[in-house]
Parts: sequence; structure tokens; C-alpha cells
Amino acid sequence: MGVVTARPLLSADGLVAGYTATDEILKSVELSLQAGEIVSIIGPNGAGKSTLLKVIAGILAPSRGSVHLRGVPIHGRRPREISALGVAFVPQEQNVFPTMTVRENLEMGGYVDPHGSRAKIDAIFARFPPLAEKRRHAARTLSGGQRQILAMAMALMVEPAVLLLDEPSAGLAPAAAEKLFETIRAINQDGVSIAVVEQNALEALAIAHRGYIMVDGRNSRSGPAAELARDPDVRRVFLGG
Amino acid sequence: MPELLQLLVNGLMAGTVLAVPAIGFTAIYAVLRFPNFALASHATIGAFGGYVANTAGGLPAWAAVAVAFAVAGLVGVLSDTLVLRPLRPAGAITTAIAAVALNIALENVVRFVFGNDHRGYDLPLQRDWQVAAIRVGPQQFQNLLIALVAMAALFLFLAFTRTGKAMRAVADNPTLANVKGVDADRVGRLVNFVGMGLAGVGGMLLGLDTSIDPLTGFRVILSVFAAAVVGGLGSIPGAVVGALTIGVAEELSLVALAPAYRTAVGFVAILFVLTLRPRGILGERAY
Repeated sequence: MGVVTARPLLSADGLVAGYTATDEILKSVELSLQAGEIVSIIGPNGAGKSTLLKVIAGILAPSRGSVHLRGVPIHGRRPREISALGVAFVPQEQNVFPTMTVRENLEMGGYVDPHGSRAKIDAIFARFPPLAEKRRHAARTLSGGQRQILAMAMALMVEPAVLLLDEPSAGLAPAAAEKLFETIRAINQDGVSIAVVEQNALEALAIAHRGYIMVDGRNSRSGPAAELARDPDVRRVFLGG
Repeated sequence: MPELLQLLVNGLMAGTVLAVPAIGFTAIYAVLRFPNFALASHATIGAFGGYVANTAGGLPAWAAVAVAFAVAGLVGVLSDTLVLRPLRPAGAITTAIAAVALNIALENVVRFVFGNDHRGYDLPLQRDWQVAAIRVGPQQFQNLLIALVAMAALFLFLAFTRTGKAMRAVADNPTLANVKGVDADRVGRLVNFVGMGLAGVGGMLLGLDTSIDPLTGFRVILSVFAAAVVGGLGSIPGAVVGALTIGVAEELSLVALAPAYRTAVGFVAILFVLTLRPRGILGERAY
């Protein structure tokens, strides 16, 4: 484990959750995210990685356990309250409004706090020129990589402290995925802490400070990302290497 | 040939008027995901609201249309909140059937208050205009303008206001809209107000051409539904295209069919579209 002394920015403890009362997808999960960190959550299909993010974002209520942001409990609150507190969630699929323009999508990204929205949109266009070029196009006309960038940019409209990314590279060509990981790292360097769930385990560990491995709704391993990426057991089981 | 042209002009004008309630129908569908057949009685209620404003209140037709919008919109919000909203968790089919029941109930409320007689609006008598061989009634033309203004206002609202964009966001992706902080209940009430308000405007415009009675809305609901389905359920531009298609098709059917069979056009159009292109002309997805 890395040396963790400060109170984490975001922490989840003993989370139990599922889509129905009887089915527990998360059986007991811990997660902590320090300010300024990228944490990657990897693991096989069905391990509950996406469910974990949905619980943190408030889309799914946990049946047990807690989520704290800066020491304040946020579990059980509604998605828009959690979003207003500075935790922005980017779903894996259907994460844009397809018939609305790129610009309108960004406006909707900042819906809870429309003040200064114009300046924020201009800043995003300056940062992501491909989005600026397509500002008047419907989001459904974007390529897969551009759509993921738009989805992240929408989340940035609320100037979040924490960004939760659910498999951002899913379905992208390798070049687009690489560009996306660069973008994630750049956003982090601006001071946004990021928890990212990924199938693409090696790349996810390469950009992360720390990693968590989840198996069957529980934590399996955790530690500095570089260590996990080198560990022969981890490589064999999760990375196919 | 001049007859065909006359039918085409009539069809386009009828289609433009039909587009108003069809937009209401498709907008409610887009946000709340069920076909609200109670739109028929709301068209009737709007027509009667406008009638009272016109005959008892002395407002000219174009101003009474605003009353039709407000009355039908308010009844729409009330009836949805009290009757349909509690049933929505049970699914679209259940809610649609409840909407049919609600429609019958509201229609009979109108019958109870106003009786079964046909009533006419208080309109100045005007001679038809004649352009070449085409005849156009001034009232028809005014209806066309009112319909265009109502549609333009709606397009501006949806394209440029924060609330209008939130409404489109919920129609596009309700889960994401929730994550982004849009209050779905508020948007639901709003779409009922606007959608049923447009139904009320449509009901009154249809009545201005002829007369009104408790079945005014019921007589056009099939054409409205057909217009929405042909254009693509949930697509507002689709509803306009669908309404123009149905309007023209209904008029042109008069060349070959007795007027009594005119309503069959809607059925045939629905059948064709569902067989060949279930998502409609401009629809985003198949249902």
C-alpha cells in the first residue's frame, strides 16, 4: 500500500449493493481516493466495478456501507445533489444527448450551475479543438473517441473535485483510446481527482497512481499502480501477460 | 388538374393545422414514453375554452386561441398529475389504456356542461379569396398563420431556453438528464402543459373551420396519431412532416374515395409505416 496519511477526498466503506433486494453485486467494497490522485479499478466482467461507481454517484442506493466526500456522508443522496457537491459521473454508454448539439450538451453538463456557463464552454472549446469544430453538430455524429471526450467535458462543466469514469475506452480504436488516456491524465493535472473503471487494465494502471482489483463484488488487491502492473499474479490473471 | 391543385392546397393547409396537436402528442410521447390518447378530449376542451372566450368574452378568434392553449394546458397538467402519473410505473400500455378512459370521462364532462349541440364561433362573414383557379378561405388562411406562429414559438422555446433544452434532454436520455440535475417531474408537468395546450389550439383551429361539439377532438385523434407515427413517434420535426403527409393524403383520397372513407387514410398510413419503416420518416429509433 502507498503511504496514506491525509484524510481521503472520497472514501467508500463496506459497500453492499445490487439492482434488486436479493441480488448483491457489491458484497463488501472499500475504496479511497486522495486529492490529486488517479485511481484505476480493474477486474473481470461482472466484478461490480461499474456498480461501485453508480453507488458513489447516487444512481444506485447501497443497502449497507457508506460513502464520504471530505468526511461528509453522501450515500443515499440523489444524483443531482452529489453532482452539485462536486462528484461528476460519466456513464459508460449513452453518456451524451444524441440529438442535441455539442454546445447544448455542454450546457446540459452545467445544468445545475448555469452561472459562467458561457466562459466555461469557451474554455472547453479552447482545450478540445475537435469539440469546438463540431459545436453545432448533433452529438450522435461524433466519433466514439470524440463522444467520450464530450462526455468528460460535460462532467467538467460543474468544475468537479472528483471525476468518476466508467470504462471510457470501451469500444475505442487503440489510437483513440491512447488519446483519451492522455486527456484523462491532463484533466488530473489540473487538479481533478479521478476514479476510473477499466477493462483495458494495463493502460489504466499506466496512468494511475494507485489501483484496485475487484473480483466478484469484493476487493481483491490494491496498491501502487506500478507495483500491480508488475506483479506476475496480477499480470497472469487480469492482463493475460 | 385545377381540382388536384385545390386538393393539394387544402391538404397542406389542413396538414399544417393538424401538425399542432400532432406535435403535442409526439412531445408528450418523447418525454413520458406513452401514447396519451386523452389528447382528443383536451383538444375538445381547448376548443370550448376558446369558444367561451370568443362568444361570451368577445375576443377575436386569434386571441381566443391563447385561451384555448391555457385552458387545455392546465387541464392537461391536472389530469396527468391526478390520473396518469400515479399509473406510469405500471408501464406504457397500462397508462395508455388509462388515458383512453380519462378521455371518455373528460369528453362527458364537456357534454355535461355544454350539451351535444354543434356550436359555431362568432366569426365575421368573409368571401373566399380566389387566386387563379384556387380558392382559399380567409379563416383557413388565418388558421394557417396561427398554426405557424404556434409552431415557431415552440421551436424557439425548445431551441433557446434553458427549460426547453432540459425538456429535450429528458426526451433524449432521461437517465443522463437525471445525473445532470434535471427535475424529471417538473419537465413532465411542463410537457403536459405545452403538449395539451397545443392540442387545445389544434381543437380550436379545427372548430374555426366548421363547428365544435364534444366529439371534436375524438374525430381527429386518429389523424393526429397517424401523423405522429408516420413522422416518427417522439420526433417533433417528424410530427410536422407526418401531419403534412396525412393532411395531403386525406384530401387526395377524395379523388378516388367517398368522403366517408377519408379516415381510413390514417389507418392505412399507420399500417404502411409500421410494416415498412417502424421508426417513421424522421424517428430516431423503432418501437
